[in-house]
Amino acid sequence: MPAHINIQNLNVYYGERHALKNINLEIPDNKITCIIGPSGCGKTTLLKCFNRLIDTYDNVKVDGKLMIGSENIFDNNVEITHLRKKMGLLSQRPFPLPMSIYENVAYGPRIHGLKDKKKVDELVEFYLKEASIWDEVKDRLNAPASRLSIGQQQRLCLARGLAVEPEIILGDEPTSALDPVSSKNIEEKFLQLKEKYTLVIVTHSFAQARRLADYVVFMYLGEMVEQGSANQVLENPVQERTKEYVLGKIS
Amino acid sequence: MGKEGGVLNAILGSLYLSIGATVLSMLMSLPIVLYINLYLKPDSKFAATIRLAMDLMWGVPSIVYGAFGFTVMVLIGLKTSMLAGMITLAIMILPIIIRAMDEIVRTVPLGLIEASLSLGATRWETAFKVVVKQTMPGIVTAMLLGFGRAIGDAASVIFTAGYTDKIPYSIMKQVGTLPLSIFFQLGSPIPEVQNRAYAAAVILTIIILIVSILSRLYYRKFARNRIL
Repeated sequence: MPAHINIQNLNVYYGERHALKNINLEIPDNKITCIIGPSGCGKTTLLKCFNRLIDTYDNVKVDGKLMIGSENIFDNNVEITHLRKKMGLLSQRPFPLPMSIYENVAYGPRIHGLKDKKKVDELVEFYLKEASIWDEVKDRLNAPASRLSIGQQQRLCLARGLAVEPEIILGDEPTSALDPVSSKNIEEKFLQLKEKYTLVIVTHSFAQARRLADYVVFMYLGEMVEQGSANQVLENPVQERTKEYVLGKIS
Repeated sequence: MGKEGGVLNAILGSLYLSIGATVLSMLMSLPIVLYINLYLKPDSKFAATIRLAMDLMWGVPSIVYGAFGFTVMVLIGLKTSMLAGMITLAIMILPIIIRAMDEIVRTVPLGLIEASLSLGATRWETAFKVVVKQTMPGIVTAMLLGFGRAIGDAASVIFTAGYTDKIPYSIMKQVGTLPLSIFFQLGSPIPEVQNRAYAAAVILTIIILIVSILSRLYYRKFARNRIL
């Protein structure tokens, strides 16, 4: 199982608070990796390290290595826009950009230099189809994205993220604000997408992890407690704390 | 004497001055606001200092701006002119525009900025393509607030833009303004001239009314794409 992302001794401090403690982690290629754990255990912080959004926060200190392929993303010579382009991010609540549906998808390719109108049209159509939202919006591509339902917005955000041709898709509890039908849509999409992408999904729904994950990482209070195949971590956990979490004794 | 004529000189003068001042002020304030909100960290001392300074400048009476502008003009050898008036007004409304826009830009959800950054956009692109679009209604409101203040102000233009009965024809020449035409004409013993002052006051009010109505009408259009 080739490791796509390899984290070595990653520590994150918010001022005095030690938010991530010595994380060592391997995330496999073309699989869905779910990061589970109770609120405040550092799942989101870990995710924000991947695309270095963590840099935009105050008073943060990061040390350790986060290797994507053979590149340590915390190296000084890493071009941050290029790094972020490699990752699609789905946040808890969808944040479409304040522009039309069409422009939302075209935004990424355009800032990365695509000018040809026809090419942009093709891309927009392709990625809207890829995110299974094309049929719902094809007649109103110029309508503001804010008019879509929240489930549609999340799929639009997925299309927008895919349009920059990432290798990795990051999801920060991407279905927590959605209704059950939209969540199911998104989950099904994820299962298809793992053919082409590496997915890292933060969730605190245990059931969701069971439905999606190939590989599970359990975190607790800033520590990585256990990692392994979904089957192993969710069904036969080795660590005491994982057992307690899986059985619902701690949450 | 002075029984003929109107206040076209002052109407045009006021419009030119205020539009020029608003444009100048926007050119300075938009980058400042985007800079303190997107480039500086939220607890930045520098940003806090700028905000405090703007609050102080907001409270400074406009005659002080006039006197300051006049002093600088003397130093650099600029005569009373439309240009000098524009610059003075621009500085006077700068804190108003900055603070009004700042309040709006601060309400932009962090998730929206992160969404743009995570697509590989630079902060510059995020600022101008996402934040500006999101806050367009607020930016326009801030602009109109500044414009309203600029067009109604007499004290800061009395030394810097001067006054003339001529229709404005050059940016380097003195220019008449509505507030000053009220001020000068109301003091005249001739009833016709006094009436002209009242007319000028009505016109000034109407201009501000029109601007407010237009902004209300266009608010929806500007707010169309806004993400709540």
